[in-house]
Amino acid sequence: MFNVTAILEMPLGAGGITIWSLLYFTLILVIGVLIARLVSINVRRALMDRLPVNERELLTKLVYYGIAIVALLAALPQLNVDLSGLLVAGGIAGIVIGFASQSVISNLISGLFLMFERPIRIGDNINVSDVTGSVEDIRILSTVIKTFDGIYIRIPNEKVFTSNITNYVHNVARRFSYQIGIRYQDDAALAIRIAKDVIEKHPFALRNPSPSVFVDNLGDNGVNLTVFIWAPARNWWEVRTDLLWKIKRAFEENGIQIPFPQRTVWFPERIEVEQRSAVEEK
Amino acid sequence: MFGRYRGTFRSESGEILIEVEEGDGLLTYRRRCGEDKFERILVTRMAEVIINPVEPVNLPKDITNFLMIEFPPLMIEPGVSSTVYLKFPVEFGVFVESARDIEVADIFAPTTQKYTLYGTPTRGLIARWYGSEVYSEIPEVDLYREGVMEFTITNTYREWVEVSRVVFESVDMKIYYGDFVASTATMRILGPNLAETDFIDAPPRPGMVKSIELYTARKISALNRGYLMEWGLS
Repeated sequence: MFNVTAILEMPLGAGGITIWSLLYFTLILVIGVLIARLVSINVRRALMDRLPVNERELLTKLVYYGIAIVALLAALPQLNVDLSGLLVAGGIAGIVIGFASQSVISNLISGLFLMFERPIRIGDNINVSDVTGSVEDIRILSTVIKTFDGIYIRIPNEKVFTSNITNYVHNVARRFSYQIGIRYQDDAALAIRIAKDVIEKHPFALRNPSPSVFVDNLGDNGVNLTVFIWAPARNWWEVRTDLLWKIKRAFEENGIQIPFPQRTVWFPERIEVEQRSAVEEK
Repeated sequence: MFGRYRGTFRSESGEILIEVEEGDGLLTYRRRCGEDKFERILVTRMAEVIINPVEPVNLPKDITNFLMIEFPPLMIEPGVSSTVYLKFPVEFGVFVESARDIEVADIFAPTTQKYTLYGTPTRGLIARWYGSEVYSEIPEVDLYREGVMEFTITNTYREWVEVSRVVFESVDMKIYYGDFVASTATMRILGPNLAETDFIDAPPRPGMVKSIELYTARKISALNRGYLMEWGLS
């Protein structure tokens, strides 16, 4: 009579491997690969908007092959493969690889945190680790910054993550200020009114929060006005450069001048000096 | 000046001049608005040029989709709905249209612009700002400078609410033109600092022509979902 159990338990070769164990091995492997495929598809979908295509595909493959290897290790005992030796060797190799790739893993984890926490985004103007520029790319292991001089700088993600990050455009609006000096004989109230009028006419000098112009201190050479202006974070630099010159021109048109550094020098023989110069002119 | 033009034309009104001239077998679009000038050569067999008012959030450059209109404070009784009229700024959109496609060629305005922050610097948004009085009837406006917004406010909150500003997402804005430029909008007050705003696709007067929207011309798909004002109404 045809006995299925006997056939399944029939040894194949000398290793004690049966058809049954071979089927188990195949089943575990197939299930493992299916899980790997399912997880990697979901990882790809989850990272669709968060990672560039190269990094996303690399991470998806890592996940896929990682699960597939775990499935293979789980299936191998069905073929009577002793994993204890492999585990010892793997453990030692793991320690060696772990020490060797410590910084790589650290950068990788930092990169993932950067992508999920999002303190910076591509295109943002930032300062990190004494580097100021705009973010060109956020990769798995490093962040690429283009300085305002057009220089390419690659910073490891661990350094970015552990440094103080200043993101100049994270908020929608930001404030900047000017210090403008006028002469003591100029009317400070008029200067404030002129500066406010010029700021009011600029489209991107925000109406709210309103700009502030006031006499900040009485300096050595003149009266110092401080001007605070809020502007959209992505346009503040053009507003800053544009407005300062316009304020300066408006001051000049109204007879208000920026004072030069000056020192009053007292001559005991002042009249004599004037007479001598008068004689020279003659 | 608003309307459709085919081939060469010249349209002038006050400080605004728009023309399409033919020279050396090429059509040249030319525009002057005060001191500001713009010119483009149109390589076309016989394109149509369309001039109409567009969503006023594009000048001097496109930095936001939001429009804020500020007006003298209104105290609104609970459960009451009222329609008033506000003014809003007008921007000219010039489109070139062929049988297959429509494209924005030029945007300009004879007026100045001002922007503001609605909300906080960390969580708020930048909006085009415009100040208006509140009118009980359609006010007289300069066709090329200001439009009229029919604005219906409904207070669904249980207390009196003071309102002195309204913020709209311009993606939803529907503009009509005729004797004047117009739009119809609503504001539903949900709380002392919370309100929903939206535009209605209907002119305040019958017989007005609907403008081509920039979002349609730019083929940007957008949902008409209104805007939720979360950072105060006054």
